[in-house]
Amino acid sequence: MRLTVENYPPGTIPPHAEALRAPVKAFIAEQLAGSPAHLRARSWSGFDAGFSKALAARGWVGVGIPKQYGGAGLDPFSRFVLVEELLAAGAPVAAHWFADRQSAPLILHYGSEAQRTSFLPRICRGELFFCIGMSEPNSGSDLASVRSRAERVPGGWKLNGQKIWTTYAHKSHYMIALIRTSGTSEDRQQGLSQFLVDLSLPGVTVNPIKLGTGDSDFNEVFFEDVILPEDALVGTEGNGWQQVNAELAFERSGPERIYSSLVLLDLWASLLGGDPTPDEAARLGRMLARLAPLRAMSVAMTGLLAAGQSPLTEAALFKDAGTALEQQIPAEIADAIAARPDRAADPELLRTLAYLMQLNHVFSLRGGTREILRGMIARGLGLR
Amino acid sequence: MSDNAAMQDENAFLIDAFRRQLSETVTPARIRGIERGEGADALWNELYDTGFLDALVPEASGGAGLTLAQAFPLLMAAGEHAVPLPFAETMVARGLLVRHGAPAPQRAVIVLGGDTQQVPGGRFATHALVERDGGGMLLRVTGDDLDVFGTGGCSSLDEGEVVARVPLPAGACQLAAAAVAAALMAGAMGRVLDMALRYAGARQQFGRALGKFQAIQQQLAVLAQEVITAQVAARSAFVGQDFDPARVAAAKCRANEAAGAACNIAHAIHGAIGATQEFDLQLYTRRLKEWQIAFGSETYWAARLGRLRLAAQTATSADFLRQHLAHEE
Ligand SMILES: Cc1cc2nc3c(=O)[nH]c(=O)nc-3n(C[C@H](O)[C@H](O)[C@H](O)COP(=O)(O)OP(=O)(O)OC[C@H]3O[C@@H](n4cnc5c(N)ncnc54)[C@H](O)[C@@H]3O)c2cc1C
Repeated sequence: MRLTVENYPPGTIPPHAEALRAPVKAFIAEQLAGSPAHLRARSWSGFDAGFSKALAARGWVGVGIPKQYGGAGLDPFSRFVLVEELLAAGAPVAAHWFADRQSAPLILHYGSEAQRTSFLPRICRGELFFCIGMSEPNSGSDLASVRSRAERVPGGWKLNGQKIWTTYAHKSHYMIALIRTSGTSEDRQQGLSQFLVDLSLPGVTVNPIKLGTGDSDFNEVFFEDVILPEDALVGTEGNGWQQVNAELAFERSGPERIYSSLVLLDLWASLLGGDPTPDEAARLGRMLARLAPLRAMSVAMTGLLAAGQSPLTEAALFKDAGTALEQQIPAEIADAIAARPDRAADPELLRTLAYLMQLNHVFSLRGGTREILRGMIARGLGLR
Repeated sequence: MSDNAAMQDENAFLIDAFRRQLSETVTPARIRGIERGEGADALWNELYDTGFLDALVPEASGGAGLTLAQAFPLLMAAGEHAVPLPFAETMVARGLLVRHGAPAPQRAVIVLGGDTQQVPGGRFATHALVERDGGGMLLRVTGDDLDVFGTGGCSSLDEGEVVARVPLPAGACQLAAAAVAAALMAGAMGRVLDMALRYAGARQQFGRALGKFQAIQQQLAVLAQEVITAQVAARSAFVGQDFDPARVAAAKCRANEAAGAACNIAHAIHGAIGATQEFDLQLYTRRLKEWQIAFGSETYWAARLGRLRLAAQTATSADFLRQHLAHEE
């Protein structure tokens, strides 16, 4: 395969999707009035069930889900506009984020009719939050080696094992878990299945793990003889790997891979006002010159997804470049302000900067690490 | 088929034809010959006779009437083939001149003026389109002999008679020059990526093709990122009728940054052979380096872009990207 600019066909956001922008902006302005930058900088790590419910009340959770299941029945461009505005403003979207981005589309595509009618309307109302249970203590990048196992028992499944790094498991209702249903971890991609795990079931233990900052966004989750109903299986038994991979282009192509440091960038820009030094102007411009093509690529991939394609290599390339930029923004701003040690920095800028400086190293880990993504790009280039 | 799809097809056909023509006429041997001073008139006449120099001239004036967006792949192709003459510059200048009422002289080799330390192709130029007295001016020129990259560039132009005056908006020449450089760089980087991939597939060490080593694969993945983001940024500068400062700034800044990484990685993967005169890689990387210092560096354009962002006073940078840098039909 030749990877060129043509893999990202130039695209524009159609007017019907752009029409969503003004009402979304107005809603966010009202909801986030007075919210300080260092909290908004949490962006899709910021959990606020009330915000998610209010957003859902406007019909903006699960916008891609058909109306018959409680969604808005909108196309990927509409979701792009919605998500772009939420992230640019630093809205706390984590509560509904994973259900909106991954679990709901998964249930829609692979779930039974009963699962769709049971789960999707509650997701779209902002009542049901999901977390993603893929990683395990011994299965990180090597995801196909997962050991958590479900065995058939009369009337359902018995689940044992452990997940780790599960973002907001402690505040979610369900986990979409990748579980082995046959064979052993040597069987790799064979014998894996996806389950909808009700986290309130007996035998499920969720222990928060603290980050270096003292925040606890993620968890370890233990399963001890958890009895799951028959219909906890989503999709086809043994088809889990294919199902997980079908989600990846969605997971890696969106604006959340370029905007994680945007609140900081914009706070800094607003403090520069109309009178930047040449160095400050150049730093700002450099970040924007990197952002501009990445946003264009995200719009392009939205078009590909809308057309039913799955741009996996393109998304891997975008995500790797995008998260590098997200990491660079705090570093640039830190360098810019500390280049003038004689000048006091704005306290809110310092708080926001410190938050992102302590977190930006994870941007290239979550959602597949740099080395794994580069391996996928190399495969796309025909090297593997 | 819709009109739009039919037009796209026609454009793709045109671009394929152009690339084929370049592959036949602008061979590495010929590039080397011209760089050695063996004369460029024959190649210029061949390129002139293809008609592609009038790609941006309106149909009513005998050109192909392409938009900037449609012409962008032609410019990229020129960069990909290291055309050793200011072909892309002349194409853009001819479009600008005709649109502002002054057709270009027959066979004129035109470079675009603007503040720069190096004018690529300047030694071959017969004319330059420059900004003077609040407008555009087509002048006869002679390049100096400070061709520091050995590509036929020069550092300054000795100005002769004024051939035409055109009402160009302020800054238009500099923007066009930088946009053309970004597009040529985008094309040359595409070539450099292709060459690195091919070489990594062919060269064996430790009993395996280089491309089988993870360290090399990861380098090639980074190379692809740099190249493609630069290509997308350059493409975004070729929209609408006239070059826009924010778009050109993003394009040239990204192209310059990417070119540094692209040259280093591509040469690293080629080892010593890639640095030799006999090997074609240097035909492209030498030009990339010249284009890096032509018409403003990444810091120059980044500072302009940063000031544009602050002057626009948008609530967020996402708004700025959408309003000033997004693709437009
Ligand atoms: C903030 C955050 C939130 C997360 N949220 C979730 C979540 O909600 N749900 C979930 O399931 N997981 C989550 N994760 C886990 C994440 O998916 C994993 O961290 C990631 O897949 C890497 O796995 P690991 O941490 O075990 O690192 P490892 O796989 O042990 O990798 C460590 C290092 O070695 C490199 N490496 C590994 N294999 C290779 C190889 N073959 N070649 C070259 N280099 C290699 C990696 O690139 C990495 O740099 C989250 C992680 C973070 C940081």
